[in-house]
Amino acid sequence: MRRLRRFLRTPEAVAGTILLTVLFAMALSASLLFPGDPQAIAGPALLPPFQDWSLPLGTDRLGRDVLAELFHGARTSLAVGLAAAAAALVIGAVVGTLAGFAGGLVDEVLMRITDAFQTVPGFLLALAFVSVVGPSLGVVVVAIALGTWTGPARIARAEVLSIRERDYVAGARVIGMRPLEIAFREVLPNALPPVLAMSSVIVAAAILTEAALSFLGLGDPNRVTWGGMIAEGRAVLRTAPFLSIVPGIALVLTVLGVYLAGEGIVETTAVRRGLS
Amino acid sequence: MNLLTVSNLIKRYSRGGKTLAAVDDVSFHVEPGETLALAGPSGSGKSTIARLVLRLIEPDGGRIEFEGDNFLALRGAALRARRARLQMVFQDPLAAFNPRATVARVLDDPLRIHGVASRFERPRRIAALLERVGLAADLAPRAIHEISGGQRQRVAIARAIATKPSLIVLDEAVSALDVSVRGQILNLLLDLQREERIAYLFISHDLGVVRAVAHRVILFDAGRIAENGDARTVIGAPQSAVGQALVAAAPRLHTTTQDAS
Repeated sequence: MRRLRRFLRTPEAVAGTILLTVLFAMALSASLLFPGDPQAIAGPALLPPFQDWSLPLGTDRLGRDVLAELFHGARTSLAVGLAAAAAALVIGAVVGTLAGFAGGLVDEVLMRITDAFQTVPGFLLALAFVSVVGPSLGVVVVAIALGTWTGPARIARAEVLSIRERDYVAGARVIGMRPLEIAFREVLPNALPPVLAMSSVIVAAAILTEAALSFLGLGDPNRVTWGGMIAEGRAVLRTAPFLSIVPGIALVLTVLGVYLAGEGIVETTAVRRGLS
Repeated sequence: MNLLTVSNLIKRYSRGGKTLAAVDDVSFHVEPGETLALAGPSGSGKSTIARLVLRLIEPDGGRIEFEGDNFLALRGAALRARRARLQMVFQDPLAAFNPRATVARVLDDPLRIHGVASRFERPRRIAALLERVGLAADLAPRAIHEISGGQRQRVAIARAIATKPSLIVLDEAVSALDVSVRGQILNLLLDLQREERIAYLFISHDLGVVRAVAHRVILFDAGRIAENGDARTVIGAPQSAVGQALVAAAPRLHTTTQDAS
């Protein structure tokens, strides 16, 4: 409770939390407020915003409701962003822990694999993966995770290297605990905080990567995505710029919200560590 | 028969191209139920010996026999199983436990790993262990960082005796405690030894404490044995330079030896 109060005292945390709350509310209420297919035609094509109050943000080239698309797009962005970041953090934490704890040849092999992934630009990797396997939500999540797990892996490994020399790890060996149990039960949970501190950056990057993939037409074709909306609007950028601007603003606010909230969390935990 | 026999133990470290022998051809033995103290200034290799005996690090030469077996030949599951008989208590009781653990979990681990008690029986065993080391059983759900340093060291001792070991290595086990708590912990250790016939390998730089608990003492200097013998005799009249320096460093002891002469 005290931690929450301290969290809400930092202005960036408050701003980030408000943005994220709105975003979550949008994602959760999408099918309640806009039931049915958001990609169905709802009115005349290219209706500008604020003209018809049953279609407040107007319609796109095919006459689809932009506001409905925006709400349903929030769902995709959040789902992909969170799932990809979670996958990247889990893979990274496990690989980093194994490498740091085992040392020797295992460490060498795992870190060279990490290097290999890190030298390929994450976006190119995602692009190649989706083009080969085919676009669907799950594939996009895996594609983004493939390019982002290396950061958490390196941080987890560095943390594990310092933790494995501590007395309590020696103590666990003395009582006869198996190496894998020591790695995942004694070491990994204590190596997590700095890895988790990265999560906001990873979520924000994952949301942007998903938008970029959709913009290039490699998103899940059965779902509305903000990137896809921007790509749609590009064809009529001169006559109906709002079609690109509206999802663009949504994307900026989302990434900003995730980042600010993450910053707030890091700030509060840093204060807590400083005090104790 | 000796409980623990260490012969010609060697451990070298290389630092900046030079090799340094932290433990240089050391031999000693421990008999069942006795306390052997390893004393010496910091850097004399006594803590390295503790870690070698526990197989936390591997020696570069020598033999370690424990309960009649070649302890250095044990690997994997056989080594883990034998660890039930050879336990350790660390100097800093806070660093020796997972910072996220509770008292119950710390004591549950050895009981579970060595199959000492079934899942349903373990809470009762944990309560009994806590009482054995003079703690209230309702301490079990508390987090390790919530209890005091003295209580923590009692929990560490409870964990060490959970698997009924024949030898416990005490690596500066009372050095981090304040004087009044130190006396209580030493008395607890002496009680346990009397009742369960546990042998102690007692590592300390404090000769006052060594004289109070140890039967025999070995003084180390730069990785070698400088002097060994009956604890009271050696500390009362040290022959080696290191022994004389250590006794001189403990002012209380210094005056008593002067009084005696």
